[in-house]
Amino acid sequence: MGLFAPWFLAALAGLSLPVYLHLLKRQTSKPKQVSSLMLYESRTQASTRHRSLRYFILLSLRLAMLLLLIVAFANPFINRDAATFSSNRLVLLVIDNSFSMRAGTRLADAKEAAMTVLSGKGAARGQVAVFGSQLQLMTQAIEDQAALRAAVQSVQPGDGHGNFGELARAIRSLADSVHTPIELHFFSDMQRSSLAGNFSDMALPANVKLVTHAVVTKAQPNWTVESVDAPGQVWGKDAKPVHARAVIAGFGTPAATRNASLVVNGKTTAAKTVAVPANGRATVDFAALEVPYGFNRCEVKIDSADAFPADDVRRFAVQRSDPQKALLIHNYGDSRSPLYIGAALSAAAQSAFLLESINVNEAADRQPSNYAFIILSDLNTIPPLLENSLTGYVRSGGSLFIAAGTSAGARLQIPIFGARIAETRDYSRVPDRFMAVGSSDSSYAAVAKAEGWTGVKFFYALAVDPGDARVIVRLSDQTPLLLEKRIGEGRVVLLTSGLDNLTNDFPLNPAFVPFIEQTARYLAGSQRQGGARVVDAYLELRNAREQGQGVEISGPDGKRALTLSQAATAQSFQLTEAGYYQVRLADGRQNLVGVNPDSKESNLDVIPDEVMALWQGRNAQATQEASGAAVSEKTRQSLWWYVMLLVFAAALAESVLASRYLGTQREES
Amino acid sequence: MLQRFLKPSVLAAISGLELVARTVVDGFVAGLHRSPDFGFSQDFAEYQAYTPGDDLRHVDWNVYARSERMYLKRYRGETNSPLTILLDASNSMQFGSHGVNKMDYARFLSASLFYLALHGQRDAAGLITFDDEIRNYIRPSTRQGQLHRLLAGLEQAEARARTDFSKPARYFQEFLKRRGIVLIVSDFWESPQSVIHTLEPLRLNGNEVVLFHVLDPEDVRPSLNGPSILVDMETQEQIETTPDFAKKEYRDRVDAHLTDLRDRTKAAGMGYCLLMTDRPLDDALREYLTLRGGRN
Repeated sequence: MGLFAPWFLAALAGLSLPVYLHLLKRQTSKPKQVSSLMLYESRTQASTRHRSLRYFILLSLRLAMLLLLIVAFANPFINRDAATFSSNRLVLLVIDNSFSMRAGTRLADAKEAAMTVLSGKGAARGQVAVFGSQLQLMTQAIEDQAALRAAVQSVQPGDGHGNFGELARAIRSLADSVHTPIELHFFSDMQRSSLAGNFSDMALPANVKLVTHAVVTKAQPNWTVESVDAPGQVWGKDAKPVHARAVIAGFGTPAATRNASLVVNGKTTAAKTVAVPANGRATVDFAALEVPYGFNRCEVKIDSADAFPADDVRRFAVQRSDPQKALLIHNYGDSRSPLYIGAALSAAAQSAFLLESINVNEAADRQPSNYAFIILSDLNTIPPLLENSLTGYVRSGGSLFIAAGTSAGARLQIPIFGARIAETRDYSRVPDRFMAVGSSDSSYAAVAKAEGWTGVKFFYALAVDPGDARVIVRLSDQTPLLLEKRIGEGRVVLLTSGLDNLTNDFPLNPAFVPFIEQTARYLAGSQRQGGARVVDAYLELRNAREQGQGVEISGPDGKRALTLSQAATAQSFQLTEAGYYQVRLADGRQNLVGVNPDSKESNLDVIPDEVMALWQGRNAQATQEASGAAVSEKTRQSLWWYVMLLVFAAALAESVLASRYLGTQREES
Repeated sequence: MLQRFLKPSVLAAISGLELVARTVVDGFVAGLHRSPDFGFSQDFAEYQAYTPGDDLRHVDWNVYARSERMYLKRYRGETNSPLTILLDASNSMQFGSHGVNKMDYARFLSASLFYLALHGQRDAAGLITFDDEIRNYIRPSTRQGQLHRLLAGLEQAEARARTDFSKPARYFQEFLKRRGIVLIVSDFWESPQSVIHTLEPLRLNGNEVVLFHVLDPEDVRPSLNGPSILVDMETQEQIETTPDFAKKEYRDRVDAHLTDLRDRTKAAGMGYCLLMTDRPLDDALREYLTLRGGRN
């Protein structure tokens, strides 16, 4: 027997309070004056004895109530033999169905081992769960053997990447709700790559006893296509040929030559032989990735020569389309910004965009939805009709890039973007006569690939109130320079300086071309088109929650992956299976995504025995500390409820006795 | 209209015994029904045949002129009954469990009776305050200013010492040579036998004697929250007793004491009136008027 919170016993000192009060009350009997004692008699001894008895019972009850309350807070427990608790024990069977379990007969072996454990569990309750990237319960805690067996049999291989830290977290959460001892049987190939980064993340609660069932005991050699680097999009019929680069990796393998082939829409378009060093990597280049118009399902395969053929292929999608049109609207007479932006786009974006430059007076009759994105270059005025149509364009999924230079500085507010212009800052008057970039968000591709705009001199900028916009670049004086804001389904990027080589020297800086290229790709949505993703990654479906436009996703099996309600409301979608997903987003764009399992799953190296012993041993040690002896067979049962029932009984008895005493007083008065 | 029965606690808030007395008596008299037994002394009562030696001032000369017979005209209340109040000023009279202690109550009672006697009945009124000695004596009189002297005597009557009827009783005879109404106001914490034995001579001397027994409710029904030490206000003696005793035996004893005192008083031909200090004074006034009517 012990206490979970023994420090609450310090409150026992409080027991002296009722004792003191009772004694004090007995000693403070003040003499009372009466007219005459003629008719009174002394009744000292008999009455005091009676009073002491009654007060003694009352005092005892009060002391008992306080004592029990303190004990309840100290939370006593008793150690009970786990054997006597067999009916309360929960046998939790967790079967690893991560991608690596597809190798050989691992999953079948795991199921068979689970069946064996089920046969010997006796009368204890059982529960079946699978663990891919997350713990998924297949049954409730039940005693029905048939249902448990059926659940084990129904376990299917998955494509997720297991992390034992996540498993331990889920078990800890489960143990909080299950107060009985848990016997956790884990059936897995015990991949080394599944270990958590921090071993303490894998700690299990004291009432969980871990029993591991490794379906393999040593590492197996395995070759895999670790990664493929290919563009997600190519433009135009006469575009320069693009190449795809694949990395072939061997884990625990001897040096060997592998045959790699590039497959487009089911047809092998190229094949190469590559020498893979022992336990190393080799790169294979496919110089010309020729794909027809539209979305193309591409993959790089190697010939299967190991026990894990499922990872010998890596999928990716490539879209070929006509160059997209972009519109640049500038002030009348502004010839600088069309020059710089047009040159940058044509130099970098592989003819992906056709830039059309017009002045603001010609823009009224243009249909914004015909353009992949629109650039407003330092406009001093925008006709209301154009502003309304641009706002609607952005809300429905269009993208806008606004450069606000000296002309825009005359306004009170940035149009469409909505930011208030606090002031204009002319840095040509400061001692250095310019202002450099102070801080930038390196996670933003347009800035990261432009090397953070180092060396760019800004002579003029607008100080705007960012509001809820994301500030990507700030000048040294903290003036927001590059901001992004999502409006409806679309996005607006604001540069608070010009693109005309007057308010800064950015167009002449080497960072300008990658910035324009990445910004154009970002605004046109090219970055999100095609390509490859990893299983369990999330796909962004829509920006605005209130948008009622439905999305549509077809999974690798060709079935719709979302229900109707999910299609109308879901913000994102988790890619849980390997294969090709066909997506129609809320802004109407189509996309095809190739999804591959995490390449860590291809490393079939197993966790060393000492690490496994440590994982299980730490758990046993924790139990030992708690119970004192004979540990794994002991379990702690809290007596809190029983003590609280006694507190309640004592409180009831005290109330009855005290009210009887007080009732006498009322009658006397 | 003044409230007829004012609570003693309300009277305690009135400053000045005269005002208290006037408030009580006026309220009491205004509420009375007219009755042959109660009235003022100048009311006509009857004719009586003249016999030689009668005072010629009382002859109704109008009747003589019509009938040539001499009749005397008689009025109610034409006889004077001097009222003397014997006020117990011992320490026990200081006891009070609420706003008015027994001494205050006795003062209000005495003042009201004095006012009623002097202003209503035109009787002479006097006061004797005593504890174990005679402390003050104001001779009964109807002189102007008598009420103020009596009220001053009441104001000066401070409770002290202990009650002992036997010692001052022998002086009562000296002060009460003329027959009249004698009212003894006390809490009578003495044996009934001793009280009657001491006061009976007053009755035998031809006085109308009434015992106004003033008690606090706590004297009759004491409340104790637990075993308590009780202190006698007169002797300072202490005893410890219990709520059970106070609740049962003591009450029985008090009831027996009161019954004994009442019975012995009646048997001795004296009046007895128990007054609790939480009750209005009308019982005492009614008792006095009854006595006053009986003497006409």
